[in-house]
Amino acid sequence: MTQLVQALVLGVLVGGVYALMASGLTLIFGVMHVVNVAHGAFLIMVATLTWWLWSRTGLDPILAALIMTPLMFGLGWVLHRTVLSRIRGSSVSMSVLLTFGIALVVEGVLNVTGGNVFRSATPEYFDESFVIAGMALPKPHVFGFLTAVVVLGLLHVVLTRTWTGRAIRATSQNHTGAALVGVSAASTAALAFAIGIATTGVGGSVLSVLYPFFPASHYDWISRLLGIIVLGGMGSLPGALVGALVLGLAETLTATYLGLQWSTLVFYVVIMGVLLVRPQGIFGTRLREDVAT
Amino acid sequence: MLNRLRCTLLGLIGALIAASLAACGTPPSAGGGTGPITIGVSLPLTGEFSQPGKQAERGYKVWQDMINAKGGLLGRQVQLSIVDDASSQDTVVANYTRLITQDRVDLLLGTFSSLLNYPASAVAEKNGMLFVEPAGGAPRMFEQGFHYLFFAQPATAPRQAEVFVKWIESLPADQRPATAAYPLLDDPFTTPIIETMQHDLEALGVRTVYSAIYPPETTNFQPVASAIAQAAPDLVAQGSQFEDGIGLARSLQQLGFSPKMLFQSNAPSFAGQYSSSVGEANTEGVFYTVSWNERAETPLNADFVRRYTELYNNEAPAEDAADAFAAAQVLQAAVEAVGRIDQKALADWLHANKVTTILGDLSWDATGAPQSQFLLAQWQNGRVEIVAPADRATTTTIVHPKPGWK
Repeated sequence: MTQLVQALVLGVLVGGVYALMASGLTLIFGVMHVVNVAHGAFLIMVATLTWWLWSRTGLDPILAALIMTPLMFGLGWVLHRTVLSRIRGSSVSMSVLLTFGIALVVEGVLNVTGGNVFRSATPEYFDESFVIAGMALPKPHVFGFLTAVVVLGLLHVVLTRTWTGRAIRATSQNHTGAALVGVSAASTAALAFAIGIATTGVGGSVLSVLYPFFPASHYDWISRLLGIIVLGGMGSLPGALVGALVLGLAETLTATYLGLQWSTLVFYVVIMGVLLVRPQGIFGTRLREDVAT
Repeated sequence: MLNRLRCTLLGLIGALIAASLAACGTPPSAGGGTGPITIGVSLPLTGEFSQPGKQAERGYKVWQDMINAKGGLLGRQVQLSIVDDASSQDTVVANYTRLITQDRVDLLLGTFSSLLNYPASAVAEKNGMLFVEPAGGAPRMFEQGFHYLFFAQPATAPRQAEVFVKWIESLPADQRPATAAYPLLDDPFTTPIIETMQHDLEALGVRTVYSAIYPPETTNFQPVASAIAQAAPDLVAQGSQFEDGIGLARSLQQLGFSPKMLFQSNAPSFAGQYSSSVGEANTEGVFYTVSWNERAETPLNADFVRRYTELYNNEAPAEDAADAFAAAQVLQAAVEAVGRIDQKALADWLHANKVTTILGDLSWDATGAPQSQFLLAQWQNGRVEIVAPADRATTTTIVHPKPGWK
């Protein structure tokens, strides 16, 4: 029983962190129809910067998110204005090519400036656990999860309670309709992209404590995050949350009960199963491009 | 429609013929001439294996620098032609094919990892080119029965932990571990190390209480760690690369379970990257096996370390760099002994002779598998000591049992 509860709780903790990392990716796709393949590279970039800050100043890596988030927001905005706005209206595959290019540049810059080595932030609590009712809950995971809850909550409030958020959601639901009622597609897209990239400011900081990383780690992360948002429905924030929790739980439950070697496979089996029944993902909406054209 | 299909088919067949013709091109020059000797290498400088790939590149370059400073090979300067294969099996095949048939390099040196050396060695063999590789010890490499393939490390993967098993065997019965857990990364290189160890330890009476294989994508090791903690083995022997080695060590720390002996493949050999990731105090007593040691008194080793440090901003060389350097030394020894670049004569010579490298003396069987022994290393007081075999040890102290986590 303790084993089951422990697996469930761990799955939720890990899933929460995955959700945080995937939230920006799905937001960007929802509003702009851009598959941001560079999302993983931004996470690793933030993790590297966080590590650097922590090793120089001793600043808690998760708290470093307070510095990284505005930084990444700015970077996202500039990137959109200078690069991404140029492919507006192009096909999704064009965005994959462009952002893959950005990912390679980020990886290259990290390689040259920071060196091709593994890093990992190890604050005081990195190897400690909270022990509750016989269960050991690793402190970094608990802190990472709590951070994820706060950020996802904030994101939810911004998207549902503010005019900016409504404009973002309106654009994501219906580009033409939003433009008709006076929402500027260009500035909304820039904002959504900047917010999406800003989430990597938090995600990357948490990553730096939870997992060792090196410049090329971003390939692993982007494939995992894409899996999550495909399962949840591309462009859906609740979808990313559900997809991430499914991945987290699938990993821990399979590892505990079915056997370790199945732990990553099961998630992709779930994706295939869901896509067979709901090709748009759990929360995705079917694109009616035949009507639009 | 039918026509188009036929065209496509013909095109495909044409492309296949062209590709196979290119792959079977004649071997390059027999080594005459006075210009530089070119050595073709493909390395994973980007992608998954970029980390060790870059180290291997440095090892080769240090060798090039040192041999050219001494007047070169057979009196000719050596020029490395290094291309990037992005850790891809397809690219590595294309790279070596191009190096051999178009660039017509004089000699080859191997790439990094069994995954890449496996297809690459087949290209070399087909073209009759000597292929000395620094990192690719998976058993299936040597099941190919290749004549031109040589692995320039002391032993293949299955025999890598032999020295650890021998040390356990040498302990008095009451100090040997009674039980053991074997978590294994699903990887052609690490799995055989631990599988052989498990087999040998079971023969010594060490009972297996846990054994499981996890996929390379695994990032969360808490479930593995709690299963191991429940089985409470004396020895935990993990077949790991880097991230998973750190992941399990940390999860065991978070659970507060510290085995009496901890053996990990690869991860602990990452020097400072390992100690900073698991916490320096937590490295105490961790065992691993290694092909090379910075302080080894093998010929040229001190020169290699010094030149590497000079060339690369005072960094210390990694094992992967030393292995690459040793692979180049093997090639050099063969060329100098034969006195000309004749691929078959070079391979024949290596099959019949012993080569002294910075890793120690190396010799090979008919399949190219090396016949020496790895070193048993242990983290002590924040640094790495060689504890066995006795004639290569840097200390007589062995930390056993391992102290608890910090």
